[in-house]
Amino acid sequence: MTLRLHAVSFAYQGAAPVLDNADLTIEPGEFLLIKGPSGAGKSTLLRLLCRLELPVSGDLSLDGIPFEKIAPTNLRRRIALIQQTPTLLEGSIRGNLLLPYEFKANADLPPPDEQTLRNALNGFLLQSIPLDQNASELSVGQAQRICLLRTLLLSPGILLMDEPTSALDPDSAGIVLQAAREQNEKGATVILVSHAEQPPPGITGTITLANGKAERT
Amino acid sequence: MMSPITDIGPLQLALCLLFTIIAGAASMAHGLGLGRDLFIGTVRTFAQLFLMGYVLKFVFRLDMAAPVIGLFLIMVGAATHIIRGRVGQKDISVVLPTFAAMFISYFAMSVMVTGVIVGADPWWKPQYFIPLAGMIVGNAMTAVAISLERLFSDLKAHRNEVEMRLALGATPAEASRRFVADAIRAGMIPSINSLMGVGIVFLPGMMTGQILAGADPMVSIRYQIMVMLMLVASVALGSVIVVRLVRNRCFGKAQELLVR
Repeated sequence: MTLRLHAVSFAYQGAAPVLDNADLTIEPGEFLLIKGPSGAGKSTLLRLLCRLELPVSGDLSLDGIPFEKIAPTNLRRRIALIQQTPTLLEGSIRGNLLLPYEFKANADLPPPDEQTLRNALNGFLLQSIPLDQNASELSVGQAQRICLLRTLLLSPGILLMDEPTSALDPDSAGIVLQAAREQNEKGATVILVSHAEQPPPGITGTITLANGKAERT
Repeated sequence: MMSPITDIGPLQLALCLLFTIIAGAASMAHGLGLGRDLFIGTVRTFAQLFLMGYVLKFVFRLDMAAPVIGLFLIMVGAATHIIRGRVGQKDISVVLPTFAAMFISYFAMSVMVTGVIVGADPWWKPQYFIPLAGMIVGNAMTAVAISLERLFSDLKAHRNEVEMRLALGATPAEASRRFVADAIRAGMIPSINSLMGVGIVFLPGMMTGQILAGADPMVSIRYQIMVMLMLVASVALGSVIVVRLVRNRCFGKAQELLVR
């Protein structure tokens, strides 16, 4: 899936523009790191890509189809966002992992069975955690892994990750980045915002945001 | 049956100003700085109620449907204005959904109460329609304001949660279901609480008024039961419709959350 931004401008109400006539093309299967000073619009770019924000002007498209022509629920299933702060609901880990299957737009997806969920937890080194455990008892690092897992079970073609490791211990951060890389190797596009000194292993390119423009470097 | 109510003459009414003076003295003794508000409040009470008295007298004398409905429109308009003032979220307009929902549902409700339950003939008989509709709108106003405040503050405080659901494929209704239910509940709780306390903790104003006016207490309690149940229903109806309509306005055309 090719993502394209054409002459996209964005500003928060009453603030200076974050993006100013920005152009960008993201090819299928890329693993991109977005860099830039704070306030440069890194998170905003991700939010524009999954339509949690709308541009003031300009067009975004997926495989040549303008975003406006794609149902938002459908678009967000294909272009999934991992938030900076992991958000889990009160209740069991199982309930949290199965949450997306309660939504109408996901009615065609069969909910994963118990064994699939267990295997998924094992793959994220969460094998010691029972599915019945209350999600509020998890550490931030564990919660972020559950959030990523929940999204990956939906097999999105494009994964947007907004500083997913900023609040994580090194072990958890390593697992999350490794999972992103594996997802990319399986064919998904991964776009990662990160402040880490070291670029994560496996990235295929970098986008630097500055002065409202997106430059490939 | 009805014994004529003892009138309060101008002199007695003037004597009531003593009550204001007592409150003013309390303010002065403790340096509360409420004197000015107390003065303005007293003047407004006199002015607004006398004005309402004359308007009601006039409408009762006309005995026509149009002025009764006109007065109802003004009540709903004023309630909408007050709700708008109380709701902190100014970038999402609540005026149109609030006005339309309250007007349509409370008009139907008032007609049912006066025309069917009380059996007033015609259904718009001002002596019945205006006070009953006024109670409905007044109670609903408080409930709707509480509900909307709760909806906006919850959506703002739980923005991450709403967007998490959206990002996983939820529609706005699915993403906000919990907060919509909490908002409606918050609006309904006071009127349900008053169902519990009525007759034990307090005697409602309407019933007290009827008794003062010489009505048989058994007649006034029946009216009061009708009013209490009518108010619970109207509060529920108002909160549900207004919150759902306003919820739709909290999301943009890409189903993105607009409340910040």
